[in-house]
Amino acid sequence: MLDIKNINKKYKGEAVLQDLSFTLKAHEMLSILGRSGSGKTTLLKVLAGLETADRGQLLLDGQDLSPVPANQRGIVYLYQEALLFPHLDVFENVAFGLRLRHRPEAEIKKKVNALLQRLELPEQARKMPEQLSGGQRQRVAFGRALIIEPRVLLLDEPFGALDTETRRSMQQLLKRVSKDLGLTAIFVTHDLKEAMLMGDRLGMMQGGQLKIYGSRAEFIADESTGAREEARFWTDLHDLKLTK
Amino acid sequence: MQQRWAAYGGRSLFVLLSAVPIVAGVSYALLYSLGLTGVMAEGFTLAHWQEILGDAAFWRTLGFSLYVAAVSILIALGLSLALVLRSPQAFTKGELSFFIYLPLSIPAIVMAFFIFQLLGKGGWLSRVSHQLGLISALEQFPDWVNDNYGIGIIVAHVIMATPFFTIFFANLYQNERLGEYLHLAATLGANGRQRVFRVAVPVLLRRGLATVFLYFMFVMGSYEIPLLVGSQSVQMVSVRTIQRLQRYNLGDIPEAYAISVAYTVLVVVLLSGLLWYNRKQMGRT
Repeated sequence: MLDIKNINKKYKGEAVLQDLSFTLKAHEMLSILGRSGSGKTTLLKVLAGLETADRGQLLLDGQDLSPVPANQRGIVYLYQEALLFPHLDVFENVAFGLRLRHRPEAEIKKKVNALLQRLELPEQARKMPEQLSGGQRQRVAFGRALIIEPRVLLLDEPFGALDTETRRSMQQLLKRVSKDLGLTAIFVTHDLKEAMLMGDRLGMMQGGQLKIYGSRAEFIADESTGAREEARFWTDLHDLKLTK
Repeated sequence: MQQRWAAYGGRSLFVLLSAVPIVAGVSYALLYSLGLTGVMAEGFTLAHWQEILGDAAFWRTLGFSLYVAAVSILIALGLSLALVLRSPQAFTKGELSFFIYLPLSIPAIVMAFFIFQLLGKGGWLSRVSHQLGLISALEQFPDWVNDNYGIGIIVAHVIMATPFFTIFFANLYQNERLGEYLHLAATLGANGRQRVFRVAVPVLLRRGLATVFLYFMFVMGSYEIPLLVGSQSVQMVSVRTIQRLQRYNLGDIPEAYAISVAYTVLVVVLLSGLLWYNRKQMGRT
């Protein structure tokens, strides 16, 4: 379980994260909705160990993460872009984490091929990143993260650069893989529908503060999430069609 | 139509300014080396080519040029990569970004003179060593200029190449978003050493290979630095060629031209290798 207590972070005197606290249960996906500049990315970077918090405590399964460097946390941070290593093909990109850990060649082959199969990428194994579509690249990026069985996966608007159709299929794929592998993840997005679709629990980030909702109904009921406004828009549109 | 003519004009001008002088120069050198032109020309002969290809000194010159270029570039690459990876932002903004340009603006002949003053037996380092009691006489200072290992030449080229590669890699670091790759690699479990050797160096060298290679060729063909701080017994290609051209013995001129043609062939072969590698990379992408 991830337990975050009173995290604070300032940049040039400006508070980016303010007394931020929440818990994330194992095998749970928390969706965090928030606008640009709300502090979502900073929160993920602090959790990943890429930034340090000014104050507060980060506990993962009871272990204090503060002194643990990023490469030993087992928390993988995925950017909006796939950022596949340009000098490695698909197979080697996915195998990257295993090679770092000096795993035996046979194990690497077995694991990577199985994951490529699961991600519907077996034919792309020897292709270079530039030969792939946006969706394929993002799937390889998932594979590269999943192969090391991360304790927590942090997804920073991972589908932001994809077209609508690819985005939809990627959402379904991540949902399925996440359930199959029992992932513990934080999914950050500025897209309301995506947040609701991906998260087992929902949160909203505003001005460096995070509010976690007890239920989906509570999230929808809160005007600041924009869910009610969105629902009203579609209802009005539907009614307008019926009256015409 | 007008655009097409403009394109033709541009291409023609490029060929006229770059390709024609080189092709003309190499053709003349080839004809000279084959005895088909020049004051001593007596008709077609392979004698000059047989002379240089059978001369161990020619191969030593070629090997020495390759060695100096390889060692200089390897040291400069190591230093510049270390500098950029240690402080990626420092060389694109701030005071360091200004100072790093300084060595680039110094002409090669001035740099050679500076190295001579610094590393020679009567130079600053020798005198400081003497004052510190490290050596009892200036003659005891090691041969770091005009030496057979090309130390002076290598030091001069390293001083000139390191700032160049530092600026080049600092810009590549930003353009290739290397900082984000390194962060990502860290969260995937890469320690500092793995981040450098499995991510940073391959990404930077992959993008910068052509530039590194062209600088290698530039060092290999350099003239002023090896002329001033190089050895007389083992010479670099340009120095050997020019000295043969300027000798009183007119019979040496065709051999000098043969050396320059042989060197050009080597450059073309190496460039073709680079082109083939780039195409292979393009084919994979």
